[in-house]
Amino acid sequence: MQGIAGYVIRRLLLAPLILLFISVVTFSLGRWAPGDYVDIQAGPRASDELKDRIKEERGLNDPVYEQYFRYMANIFQGDLGQSVKYRGQDVEDVIFPRIWVTLQYNVIVLILTFSIGIPLGTWAALKRGTWMDPLSIGTFLFFASIPVVVSIPLLQWLFAVKLSWLPSGGWNVHEFWGIEIGIFSREAILPILILTLPGIAGIARYMRSQVLEVLDQDFIRTARAKGLHESAVVTRHVTRNAMLPVATIMGFELAALTAGSLFVERFLGIPGIGQFAFETIGSRDYDSLMAIVLLGSAIFIMTNLIVDIAYGFIDPRIRLAGGAGAETT
Amino acid sequence: MDTRRLLSLLGGIGAATVVVIIVLAVVLSGGGDDNGSGSDGDGPSIGDDLPDRESNELRLFGPDPLILDPACASDASSAEYIVEIFSGLVSFDLDLNLIPDIAETWETSDDGAVYTFHLRNNVLFHDSSRRVTADDFKFSIERALNPRMLSTVAEVYLDDIKGALTYARGQADEVEGIRVIDADTLEITLEKATPVFLFKLSYPVSYIVDEREVGDSTCFSDTRWTLNPNATGPFKLTEFALGERIELERNTNYYLEPAPSLDKVTYIITGGSSFTMYENDEVDITGVGLNDIERVRDPNEPLNAEFVTGEQLNVFYVGFNTEEPPFDDARVRRALNMALDKDLLANNILEGLATPAKGVLPPGLPGYNPALEGIPYDPQAARDLLDEAGGPDLLDDAIIIVPGSGATAGPVLDAMVALWQENLGVNIEIQQAEFGLFLRDIDEANFQMFSLGWIADYPDAQNFLEIKLHSRSANNETLYSNPEVDALLDQARTEFDEDARIELYQQAEEIIVNDAPWIPLYHGKTSALIKPYVDGYQVPAFVLPNLRYVTINK
Amino acid sequence: MSFADETPEALEQAEIARAPSFRLLRRLVKRPVAVVAVVVILVIYGAGIFAPIVSPYGFNEPDFDNRFAGLSLEHPFGTDRLGRDTLSRLIWSAQTTVIISFAAVVTGALVFGVTAGLVAGYFGGKTDAVIMRVADTLFSVPTILLLLIINSTMERRVDSLFRDVENFLGTDWIVSSGAPSYFLVFGALAIFGWVGMARLVRSQVLSLKQSVFVTAAEASGASTPRILFLHLLPNVANLLIVGITLSLGAAAVAEVGLTFLGIGVQAPHPSFGAMIFDYSGVTNVREHPQLILFPAAVISALMLSFNLLGDVLTEELSPRRR
Repeated sequence: MQGIAGYVIRRLLLAPLILLFISVVTFSLGRWAPGDYVDIQAGPRASDELKDRIKEERGLNDPVYEQYFRYMANIFQGDLGQSVKYRGQDVEDVIFPRIWVTLQYNVIVLILTFSIGIPLGTWAALKRGTWMDPLSIGTFLFFASIPVVVSIPLLQWLFAVKLSWLPSGGWNVHEFWGIEIGIFSREAILPILILTLPGIAGIARYMRSQVLEVLDQDFIRTARAKGLHESAVVTRHVTRNAMLPVATIMGFELAALTAGSLFVERFLGIPGIGQFAFETIGSRDYDSLMAIVLLGSAIFIMTNLIVDIAYGFIDPRIRLAGGAGAETT
Repeated sequence: MDTRRLLSLLGGIGAATVVVIIVLAVVLSGGGDDNGSGSDGDGPSIGDDLPDRESNELRLFGPDPLILDPACASDASSAEYIVEIFSGLVSFDLDLNLIPDIAETWETSDDGAVYTFHLRNNVLFHDSSRRVTADDFKFSIERALNPRMLSTVAEVYLDDIKGALTYARGQADEVEGIRVIDADTLEITLEKATPVFLFKLSYPVSYIVDEREVGDSTCFSDTRWTLNPNATGPFKLTEFALGERIELERNTNYYLEPAPSLDKVTYIITGGSSFTMYENDEVDITGVGLNDIERVRDPNEPLNAEFVTGEQLNVFYVGFNTEEPPFDDARVRRALNMALDKDLLANNILEGLATPAKGVLPPGLPGYNPALEGIPYDPQAARDLLDEAGGPDLLDDAIIIVPGSGATAGPVLDAMVALWQENLGVNIEIQQAEFGLFLRDIDEANFQMFSLGWIADYPDAQNFLEIKLHSRSANNETLYSNPEVDALLDQARTEFDEDARIELYQQAEEIIVNDAPWIPLYHGKTSALIKPYVDGYQVPAFVLPNLRYVTINK
Repeated sequence: MSFADETPEALEQAEIARAPSFRLLRRLVKRPVAVVAVVVILVIYGAGIFAPIVSPYGFNEPDFDNRFAGLSLEHPFGTDRLGRDTLSRLIWSAQTTVIISFAAVVTGALVFGVTAGLVAGYFGGKTDAVIMRVADTLFSVPTILLLLIINSTMERRVDSLFRDVENFLGTDWIVSSGAPSYFLVFGALAIFGWVGMARLVRSQVLSLKQSVFVTAAEASGASTPRILFLHLLPNVANLLIVGITLSLGAAAVAEVGLTFLGIGVQAPHPSFGAMIFDYSGVTNVREHPQLILFPAAVISALMLSFNLLGDVLTEELSPRRR
């Protein structure tokens, strides 16, 4: 054990290797998929010779490893390639505006999920044994049990059709200092609501079990025995000790959000990255797909690393060398 | 940090986020609530809302286009925008008549092989910098055909021009058949006279692009110019946010009557539920799908007054691999056809969003034969015919492939499979394939049956019968071959007398229907809702420029 | 992890008594929540398993004169656009769910996950490092995208593989029973589903490794597989019970999402995902709400039951249970 510094360095060195591995797998799986974008986009009337000439010209007939090396060489020169879903547009022009859209409402969802889930879980733990504990968690567990593909049309119907409170979808932006921000429009409320509701139960449940665990520990008993007021016990000791491990769920939440975003964007017509990522697969937009997968993976790796490091700093008992997920010892 | 503070901080962040969002949302969208009438100018808000709706603006729900370069667009989604932004020698009016566009008049040589186009002398590019001349056509057409472009459509639509294919294969420096006589006169010589040449010329691939901005772009690279092209069509593209929004503005230099009257057209291309957006006044026109048609047809429903429906030049069909058993036997194909109740499919399952098909040609197309009987629904005869051909066991392994990758293949497919099961006792398996994969399977004849649609490129029977069912056509997926049909189609291709042509096509269609390489299922109709203040909007039967006829009267 | 990962996050950290408890069942019976959850699960699974017997109609048996029928004695849950009985389609969908979630959990969580966890935890060192790095990698990709790519790459190949097997065996029921698409779905779930379970088992094994009974078994010369599966496995059994419970629920819901993206059983065979997909348009909720509400209610009830049962189990099995 060389301590945290050594651990961080090892993890940081490992990250590019993981990314490289992911790039090989994604690239070869993508190219191995039957049909390419010329087959898809040529239209029914293009002749076989013409299609073959275009493939030849575009390098699609080269061996996969050659195409891979060519792609990677471009990546290292900072060229992400060109989209074919939006023919010939630079990949960065296509994906960055979309990532920005998705990022905005995802951040709000994360903030809300945690800031509702943590107090709720604490409260439920303290009310353990009363009817309020199962009711509070149960309510959100109910929301968590509804698949997004169901909650989207139902909430959309409720708020947009039945009550006419919110627009049925779309994305609207306001400009602040030249930056287009979309979360302050009525269009953003529905996606945020849909994605926040199912996430709360997970955090709350976990927080609750952590609080219970802490409550059971000796130093709390001591504090209580010393006659400390109950609310002081909770705020001073319990929450703090229980909240740390909850931060580790961040990685899970983020991943669940990427999946949720895909559906929300498809249903509600939000020009985000989830919907586009889905489209790139069907349209064999190799370069955009690779860029999205690699960027997404990099974000996940960094999140997990930060969470782990934070966790390690906070609770040195955790043996870091083990791997990404924090382990209970 | 003190834990109490940590906890309250957290609660505070959450509460603050909600409050800030709600407050800002209410403040900023204050104008949007009352239909954009309020805050056209600078509101009290910090941020600028999307430009509020202008009074003379049309809002539409549009498809996400592939590329707005006329030389490259192979999909209807792109063509829909291109025909409004760009223009060419000829185009179609709303009644499907071929009309002069940039070419004011033209003459044809006696043998029909040489066209001399006289161009209008008042056609300006959107930026008013320059007038269109015959050189622009030569440039644009040669650019489309240039092998460097990798266009998948240029050869298909321009192949009649003399020397076009030679040039497209890089064996010539210019297209032999295109000659610039003077700035206003263009001469195009064909390889062989054909009545459909002008129709093919109406397709975007020969439209004018601005030589000064296209540079080295190809269909796959450096296409940034297409986000803001300088062109000659009735509208100019002012904003194209990929996958999000397309905004057009009126071309004040436009040369045809009626000139466009809409100041602005906004297409929302993010997807979502256009019907709900229509009900919430977010768009002015929406298609009506299966879910909503019943409601819209209800005379007591206010929306009913805004409902329009019209013909579409398309046909949806089941194709057979006519070279492989058991589908090489016309009796099997006819039996499967007879066992399908096309009336039920079109009028019940599709709720009347389609017309049941009897033949290949759709109603509304010149040459449509209302007298054609087709193969009527007759379960008993179907069963007898199948027994005669060898019985239901023949179809034990039959698979029908369909394009698509959704969760289900749709109600029509499910109904067809159920009808075959019920009427013939055969269990035909559905297999969905991604579109690209599907096309390749079809191309390689790696299928038994498939289900597909065909939409007219131009309103002519040739575009259906010759392209899809001539034995030498590359688009004849079923590999159907009947010398008699081929002879009729060949004869029709060079027949310039309209009535005689139609007669030939109708004869061919009748033979085809009885040979049953296809089961023609139905012809999709347009069904749309149009706000009462939108005048002159006609849902086109196929892709053609129609926005310049639209006015808004509020 | 995400969507396709069947081991929910809470389990990663859950602490569960190691020793299997024979009184578990008796304790569960005393918890009404658990009883209700188990009943709901059994009813839905039972309907699925016995679908050919209990289903009043076939899953693609249309009645074109009786489309969009309301609730009646003949069709308790009404009929859909083709006049197919909704109840029957729900029952057949339950069968799809049973097949897919069991196959996914057994292969993914149980076989791959437990084995990888046992091996990694027991051997440690290089073996551990390799297994955990693979797990890390799977943990780091946008799962849903990878699943979509795998699906579009493998769909056709799996299908032709099954057809080859059919030809080899001389049968013709395998492909038409929908086996290739089942295989694809549970395979997709299993690829990513083992990671959570493996980590869980590994961390338990790490702390058990030094315990007396393992050292004793090692000293007495027991073979490695024997130690792994006879000594260590029973000691993580409780963990598995909770893990499987939660995984089954998650797999059932994952099926719904995957079907939406085109990774699912082939039409006209129904699944909850396909039933919801067909009627998920927002205006459809207005026009024919029953067609989305019934499948939605069933899948949500199933998921909720698994969640509640998992909660109760975690609590009952916790060493600190008071």
